[in-house]
Amino acid sequence: MVKLEDVSSLLQAPAPSQKVPIRTDSTYKPLHSFALDKQRSYKQQYGDMYFLRLAKIKPAVEEVASKAWDGTEIGGELAKRVDRVLDVRQGELCWVAGTVYMDMRLKPNILEDVSKDRWLSAPISSQKYYSDDGSDQIMLEDDSGRVRLVGELLNSIPLVTGCIIAVMGTENTNGEFEVIDLKVPDLAPQPERWALSKAPSASGKSKSEDTDMTDSPSPNGGKKIAIVSGLSFSGTDASYDLELNLLLEYLLGEALGPDEQTSISQISRLIIAGDSISTTATKENDDEDDETKKRAQKKYGYDASAYNPLPSQLFDEFVAELLPSIPVTLLPGARDPANASYPQQPIHTAMFPLSRAYASDPGAASTSQPGWFDTVTNPWEAEIEGWRILGTGGQNVDDVFKYVESDDRLGMMEAMCRWRCCAPTAPDTLWSYPFQEDDPFVLKSCPHVYFVGCQPEFATKVIHGPDGQSVRLIAVPSFSKTKEFVLVDTETLEVTKIKITSR
Amino acid sequence: MDDAKKYLSDRLLSEEVPVTYRLLSRVLNIRVNVAKQKLYEFHQSQNASKANSIHATYLIYGSKTEHKQPETGDTDMDNSVPEPEPLSDYAPTKTVTIVAEENLKDALAEYEEVTSFHIYSLAPFPQRDLALLSDVSKSLSDYRKIEDAAKTLDTYGIIANPQARRKDRKGRPPVPAPAPSASAPKSVKQEVPPTLSKPTQPEKVKQEVKEVSSAEATPSSSAGKKPPATLKRGASGGIMQSFAKAAAKPPKPKPEPEPKEEDTSMALSDDGEADDEDLPTSKKSIGLEALKRTRKQREEELMRMMEDADDDMKEEAKKEDEQSDEEMEEASEAEPEPEPEPEQQPKEEKEPTEVISNSGDGRRRGKRRVMKKKRILDDQGYMVTIQEAAWESFSEDEAPPPAATKPKPASTPAASSTQKSKKAAAPKSGSQGSIMSFFGKK
Repeated sequence: MVKLEDVSSLLQAPAPSQKVPIRTDSTYKPLHSFALDKQRSYKQQYGDMYFLRLAKIKPAVEEVASKAWDGTEIGGELAKRVDRVLDVRQGELCWVAGTVYMDMRLKPNILEDVSKDRWLSAPISSQKYYSDDGSDQIMLEDDSGRVRLVGELLNSIPLVTGCIIAVMGTENTNGEFEVIDLKVPDLAPQPERWALSKAPSASGKSKSEDTDMTDSPSPNGGKKIAIVSGLSFSGTDASYDLELNLLLEYLLGEALGPDEQTSISQISRLIIAGDSISTTATKENDDEDDETKKRAQKKYGYDASAYNPLPSQLFDEFVAELLPSIPVTLLPGARDPANASYPQQPIHTAMFPLSRAYASDPGAASTSQPGWFDTVTNPWEAEIEGWRILGTGGQNVDDVFKYVESDDRLGMMEAMCRWRCCAPTAPDTLWSYPFQEDDPFVLKSCPHVYFVGCQPEFATKVIHGPDGQSVRLIAVPSFSKTKEFVLVDTETLEVTKIKITSR
Repeated sequence: MDDAKKYLSDRLLSEEVPVTYRLLSRVLNIRVNVAKQKLYEFHQSQNASKANSIHATYLIYGSKTEHKQPETGDTDMDNSVPEPEPLSDYAPTKTVTIVAEENLKDALAEYEEVTSFHIYSLAPFPQRDLALLSDVSKSLSDYRKIEDAAKTLDTYGIIANPQARRKDRKGRPPVPAPAPSASAPKSVKQEVPPTLSKPTQPEKVKQEVKEVSSAEATPSSSAGKKPPATLKRGASGGIMQSFAKAAAKPPKPKPEPEPKEEDTSMALSDDGEADDEDLPTSKKSIGLEALKRTRKQREEELMRMMEDADDDMKEEAKKEDEQSDEEMEEASEAEPEPEPEPEQQPKEEKEPTEVISNSGDGRRRGKRRVMKKKRILDDQGYMVTIQEAAWESFSEDEAPPPAATKPKPASTPAASSTQKSKKAAAPKSGSQGSIMSFFGKK
């Protein structure tokens, strides 16, 4: 409870010092794990992705499983390892690893589309694939065959298509596999901090460590990264313009008092995690313009008159104003002008006539230093301040969300880390590029920070792995809905939520 | 001090519009923190003399009471986070609240600790709808200069970043536009004198301005406003207008950074700003009768030529032009204004249909006016084809065809189209192909 008298002294603060704070630098090394070849072909089959994923993750899950189940005896019978799903024999206690496939009534099914001669997938309309009438089936499959999984255990562990697990149990008389226990690959090995980039000078590092322990000259903690998502710049909806302005002023260090400005200068980078542009702008006009729209000629099937350049222009201005002061990393989201399928490729800088002056030179090789304004892929991996960071625009979690009953977004993020796959539902329900040689969604190494944009609400937690790994999970809320964004301290990986309100 | 007071009383008491600290800082070129202070002082002094004459909004920053864990420092980063809770760990929340004076006490009561508190804006009326303030910040873009961003940061006291780097665009600043700009000045001397009694560049330009807007615009009125005026004069005005634009184009690549080169689709509409900038400089001198006469001749000829063009189509095209002009202007605000010198050259090119820069080495080089067809998708989605005059550089053998020597616009299209392939395309030709290329496409 603060009274006006208490703070009025802040209003008439002594003339602000003439020293403008200098923003701390950002040690930043983006990894191009999800970049696709510009000349990529789309002719391949998707089946290879499942094969690759199984081949890559199976050894890990089998290691976990054999550690847990070797020598396990149930009812006098020793659990045996079986190589292939098809080798499971009725009545024998065994364990086997494979890929989960969820057969759900509400889930779009490509085979159905093909059999009914529908060659365009209908846009996914349902909010959830999950139905609670028990009609959903869980299967385990590998390159040999498929077996249906049953058992109490499965109700307590959420599973989605595409994750790799090992199950122990027996096949019953119905040909179903009764699951007694279930193992996931768990967290991948985690690299050390500063594994790829060099730590700034040792003195600098020790100084920031001091900051944490003693009362150092800077009471503001270490460097921070700001993560925001769902800015949804819109041509028509101005209801959160004020908050967007305040966000800009906050990040630029214009708002707030001198002390806070100094602390804001510690924010070394802004990450925009998807949905920066709202495409629902013309909704209201649809009815009025219906007539004219029908008449409008479409060239190449595209109605140019329906295009509204204002949102991207506003976003460009926003970013261009930030850039002189703070580097920006931009991930595309579901509604951004990038390709729709995962992994989304960087938004082209032609979208940003003002900001692109800060972008990296497209001619230069990707090995040169990254652009000050870095438009990146979604998902995206980088090393920032030595920490391995994995971020997505949120589609992967949104899609997993449809498979399970719960609302626990963090739980889904945790599950993805433990499945070692950041987009397990691709390519089944999450549109994806048909990878041939490599499945980049498999997490070869465990990130230190895993953030997901465009989520309904803010949430964060730290999960720990068997080998001492720890991952900071952050669900970044959509700014246009919550007016919230996130600061991550790059020394402690602690998270602060900043909320902007008006009243 | 007085500046601030004067501005604030002007804006708040006379114009009755809100002022934010950012606007004040931009207007007076002072740091934002100083601006906040000025707002505070003004608020105090005004309300001391007359209570409730000025209403403020405040910006509060700190942590709210809902937190279980009180925070000690300015920021929470040093604090250890408590034990994990079921779904999400506890994370400290900082709240930025913008609040009108009337609700200030309530808003503050929700806070546990306030670390920053200052006036955000002043207004002469109680501010019910804070969203209005975002309109104020829209006007800030007028003060935004991208080019000297670093200096701007310092002026306004924004957190500076010495590491910020822009990419070097090769060839971006100069883009000397060799053919157009080089040829233009010379040609004035060579070709123009025969046709026109006075070769002085500004005069001609001036003349044209007068001519185009003879009826309603007096020379004293702002030159920048004239092109729109001509637009209203119907089809003929539209043609002249497009001439003016076309003539203004060639020098543009020089000062303008990149939109031209990279956004070919926009190039066709980015001429609006040039008009505004060009015309004022052209105004300096007084027109001459001779100029007027030749000018009139040309106009008539052009009219005849364009007679059959569909009026509606032109109307549409004009609208399109206007719109896109505005857009372009917005988009390219940051661009440096072309220096006066190159601006004048395009002007005079309006007069002759052809200017020749170099005829010494057995080749004639220069620029000529051709009519080009250009297709635009209008706001209804219809495709509209309009004819527009454009400058095209050319180079051909000596012994110029009669058409080229006489300033007869009607003859130029044919001549130019035959030459087209040889010529280095003018910068804007990407957006509006010549008539030949238009047919070639089909």
